[in-house]
Amino acid sequence: MALQDVCKWQSPDTQGPSPHLPRAGGWAVPRGCDPQTFLQIHGPRLAHGTTTLAFRFRHGVIAAADTRSSCGSYVACPASCKVIPVHQHLLGTTSGTSADCATWYRVLQRELRLRELREGQLPSVASAAKLLSAMMSRYRGLDLCVATALCGWDRSGPMLFYVYSDGTRLQGDIFSVGSGSPYAYGVLDRGYRYDMSTQEAYALARCAVAHATHRDAYSGGSVDLFHVRESGWEHVSRSDACVLYMELQKLLEPEPEEDASHAHPEPATAHRAAEDRELSVGPGEMTPGDSRMPAGTETV
Amino acid sequence: MAMKEKSCVAIAADRRFGIQAQMVTTDFQKIFPMGDRLYIHLARLVTDIQTVVQCLKFRLNLCELKEGLLSEKRFGPYYTEPVIAGLDLKTFKPFICSLDLTGCPMVTDDFMVSGTCAEQMYEMCESLWESNMDPEHLFEIIFQAMRNAVDQNAVSGMGVIVHITEKDKITTRTLKALMD
Repeated sequence: MALQDVCKWQSPDTQGPSPHLPRAGGWAVPRGCDPQTFLQIHGPRLAHGTTTLAFRFRHGVIAAADTRSSCGSYVACPASCKVIPVHQHLLGTTSGTSADCATWYRVLQRELRLRELREGQLPSVASAAKLLSAMMSRYRGLDLCVATALCGWDRSGPMLFYVYSDGTRLQGDIFSVGSGSPYAYGVLDRGYRYDMSTQEAYALARCAVAHATHRDAYSGGSVDLFHVRESGWEHVSRSDACVLYMELQKLLEPEPEEDASHAHPEPATAHRAAEDRELSVGPGEMTPGDSRMPAGTETV
Repeated sequence: MAMKEKSCVAIAADRRFGIQAQMVTTDFQKIFPMGDRLYIHLARLVTDIQTVVQCLKFRLNLCELKEGLLSEKRFGPYYTEPVIAGLDLKTFKPFICSLDLTGCPMVTDDFMVSGTCAEQMYEMCESLWESNMDPEHLFEIIFQAMRNAVDQNAVSGMGVIVHITEKDKITTRTLKALMD
């Protein structure tokens, strides 16, 4: 059969790893040079830094990520997509080097499709995670950086796996990956419950990524939200991170009718403004009063 | 960044203070007045910014402001690159200049930038600056240049503050930008 020839399909008991994968150690580097050192010294600056998160709950798996792609401190793309669909019931959040993530997800999509054709059904999320970690572990030590959370729904229900490029594979209920993950974990740990409703889950995911984009320099742009259900994955929304953060801050502001509590800060502010005419260079202090010229101040 | 026109100067800075990737505060002061019509902006290492500003204010108060604060530390320099903008005391002629960390001055007639997103700021200034602008137009140009430059840089931003110094007044505006 033509497809059989294209796939170089062999009977199951003689099947080895896919022949389409490049052999380990087959990188094109100058002779006599250690590949890892060569790439560290001469390799291009790769896109890095992100906040992605995923958690499993009663109604499926939520995956959320920011959309900023940064190379060092340069923002290469403010609207990239870090959640990659693998097939109808499987998504992956990507973190680390964008190029490596994109490449390995294409390899994973291809390998899962081939297995579906061979076996007649899609592999489970656990099998997909095992396949990805096994493929990447052959390149351990060669500076691959792929940290991903595979979110899917299979015969066992909603499943979530964390896979790292050194071969780590962990099953769990909540994962956050990337430079902004400490800030996201703080919000997730406080609000997560397995039996929360879908809307609560959406709000929690958006809140966690928005807080992370505020604190972490390498996360920002927008917040992508995906939901994997029994019927397949769905892109729920893409919201601007700043607008989302400001809305969240407004929810935390106190009620305006408490006049007594607002009166107390006034004298302290006036007193500090007088002190600012001295040699104050503390952070965050405006000192237009140091100038003896008339100064107009506006805040927009 | 600082921009100069025929009768006024503008100086602008972002408001972020962070330690590597972590943002610490969004209202950090980086522009300091030195007298009636002179502002100095200091970028880079915050501890050296604070040290240099305190030394400058001390010397200013003693009427001893002279060259040499940065070049004194030639072999252990302060990691800060000042941008200075102001009007001459007597002639009110606008003046901008920038210093590298060892004190080498660079004086220009159009604009001057310093900081982590210097390349992006140069791009924006080159495309937006034009001569013979009035103060309102200058404010708009410097704000747009600053905002778009810091939006392209992950470790800058969190708001922009602009001071426009004219012969008879100084206008200060604090503006919100992307807070991510």
